Amino acid sequence: MARAVAVVGVGQTHHGRRMDVSYPDLVREAVVRVFEDTGLSPKDVDGVVSGTMPSMMEGVALTHLYFAEAMQAVGKPILKTETCGSTGVSIAHTAFYWVASGMAEVVLAVGHEKMYEGDSQATMTTVLDPFYQRYFLAGAPGVFSMQSQLWATRYKIPQDKIRDAAAFISVTHHQSAFDNPYAHIKMKVTMEDVKNSRIIVYPIRLLDVCPNSDGACAVIFASEKVAKRLGRKVAWVKGVGYRGDEQFFGDSDKVVWQSAIEAAKQAYDQAGIKDPLKELDVAEVYNPFTYQEMIFYECFGFCEFGKAPDLVLRGIFSREGELPVCPSGGVLCTNPIGATGLIRVAEAAMQVTGRAGEHQVPGAKLALAHAMGGIDQFNGVMILGSEL
Amino acid sequence: MPRKVAIVSVAQIGGADSKENFYDQAYRVVKEALDKAGISREKVGCVVTAASDIFHGGISCANAYHWDPAGAVLRNGSRQDAESLFALVYGAMRIMSGHYDTALVVGLCKGSENPENDTCTLMFSDPFYFRPLGLNETMAAALQMRLFMDHYGITREQCAKVAVKNLRNALGNPYAHRKGIYSAEEILASRPVVEPLTELECAPKSEGMAALVLASEEMARKLTDRPVWIEGFGTSLDAYWIGDRDLLQGQLTNAAKRAYEMAGITAPSEQIHLAEITEPYAFQELLWYEQLGFCGPGQGGKLIDQGVTEKGGLLPVNPSGGTLAWNPYVSRGLHRAIEAFLQIREEAGERQVHREVKTALVHGTHGFAGQCHTVVILGS
Repeated sequence: MARAVAVVGVGQTHHGRRMDVSYPDLVREAVVRVFEDTGLSPKDVDGVVSGTMPSMMEGVALTHLYFAEAMQAVGKPILKTETCGSTGVSIAHTAFYWVASGMAEVVLAVGHEKMYEGDSQATMTTVLDPFYQRYFLAGAPGVFSMQSQLWATRYKIPQDKIRDAAAFISVTHHQSAFDNPYAHIKMKVTMEDVKNSRIIVYPIRLLDVCPNSDGACAVIFASEKVAKRLGRKVAWVKGVGYRGDEQFFGDSDKVVWQSAIEAAKQAYDQAGIKDPLKELDVAEVYNPFTYQEMIFYECFGFCEFGKAPDLVLRGIFSREGELPVCPSGGVLCTNPIGATGLIRVAEAAMQVTGRAGEHQVPGAKLALAHAMGGIDQFNGVMILGSEL
Repeated sequence: MPRKVAIVSVAQIGGADSKENFYDQAYRVVKEALDKAGISREKVGCVVTAASDIFHGGISCANAYHWDPAGAVLRNGSRQDAESLFALVYGAMRIMSGHYDTALVVGLCKGSENPENDTCTLMFSDPFYFRPLGLNETMAAALQMRLFMDHYGITREQCAKVAVKNLRNALGNPYAHRKGIYSAEEILASRPVVEPLTELECAPKSEGMAALVLASEEMARKLTDRPVWIEGFGTSLDAYWIGDRDLLQGQLTNAAKRAYEMAGITAPSEQIHLAEITEPYAFQELLWYEQLGFCGPGQGGKLIDQGVTEKGGLLPVNPSGGTLAWNPYVSRGLHRAIEAFLQIREEAGERQVHREVKTALVHGTHGFAGQCHTVVILGS
């Protein structure tokens, strides 16, 4: 039997355009807060996992070297996990396996990005191979636009309906962000605002897209022994799953999206989840684009393929619905990429321990956290629960 | 008691450059390692790769590009940045956790498509204070070398002897591309790089791809008659600002201590029979001897003078030729592990050392003046 692992505390920066702090100080802000949250001190930490997007994002390579002091990691065992956009969840996975292996009782996971220091879309373009795809798949929106159109066409979903459902998602998340003290974009948005916002790549408009954010997130994972000693509610890791598709965008189906389906399935199997819509109480889905969020609902088994827009418009995934998704406002309102997946894990942990404050889903016991990365390529999932 | 983990098969390629493209090279080593283990990629529990974006020929998110040839498509996996021994450690811990029985560990570095080493290491510098000075790994190493010589009276000749030994050892290594019989005088007479370092005392830029199949004890015994056990490992990170650190008392001591405790090693110079260590700069091998406990502080020069670490010595160090002979920056740690594996199994061919090797030490480092270290102990 594998060792049980818990998330015992979280720390986030106030995400946004943080010109008031340097990149290491941004990291320090999250790390200080996780120690305040848990009552643990750096000397309790047996290992540190650091991660970010690629070096080009801020122009600093191997950032764990730069943040040694800020992460309180001097003299500590260290690992550096990077898997593109899914980095945050991969950091959480690394910390999980580290504690589960018996090699550590307490592992500090730190994800970070200071996106106002660089040019994120230029960086994303360099994720593509330099010979065949870089010239026509520039940046992230182009990829997600094609994916959403493929999906709508495959299931013959009328353009009006996906437009309405995507706008509905944007309105919901922007509303939720007001309840999250750490969220970046806080603006009142109506359906009409979304539909009339500036086009980015058809059908995606400005209010369908996440911002660039500066932010960091720190999460402490601990063994059962330490978790119980702390004497506070903790979030138990119930399942982890991760999969990646081929690099070339045309090589795999992005609608019946195997990496998303299998990553979720691996995590569900471990957690014993058979009907995610009924059993999960909240989901923090990685949603940099409104349209893509609906594809995840289908791949994660929240509904049948092609049906997500209907359920969205019926409010199933809204704050008061059957399965609230991203009560934090999600990636759509806050996206410091290397931290973003870890923020999903942190938010899921806050929900199942009843510490989510204004955006708490009442009575949440089982939560899904997810991140996506690469050229629509990588999906990582972690299931957290209030009971061991 | 954590589960035991073994390396059951290895494959690697190297050299300065090649006509093969990245995908073909990566595919070839991964396939070879899997075939040697007699396991298909569909049966491998998980894949942990190691590659760095900034070293990756102009491609960000290295894992996005190399996921296919690494055999990782639709397998559970992850990637480590900077140091490929991180991937070995993480792969081992995934098996120790009981969640997987096997792991494929892959390190990828196509140096011929990358900028010069120090164009890349300059990017480790913080953009405000260090980078305008041009501080890169070689400059930091030169400061460290000067301190090392001044503090302990180590001579330039003693430092050059490391290059003499390693470049000679490399003659037996088909993957090494800088090799030959040199005298210490010739090493010191090579082109000055950053005073007091000369060209042959600084590691070159190379290609290297490495693949290893790891397995739990039960699975390892099914896959091979001669598993090589991962008996201990440790990593440690030092402070970032080199002025804040004692450059002669670094975190290698800590990383080694963790690995030794796990492996039950109390007298390293006696219990370790061979070491493959990462010495991007010749003098660092002497400094690492001290921090690994092979000799006392300031005694590294004596150890090389006495020939203890020669291929025929009591404690051979870098019989492969080490990093000075072949330096694929990211994957170099895994190549050290592969060499130790081959030596333990007596499959190192011309490079096979004369003494019996039951326990071997593997070391990797990156960052300015050895900011981060990883130590792995392998055993028969």
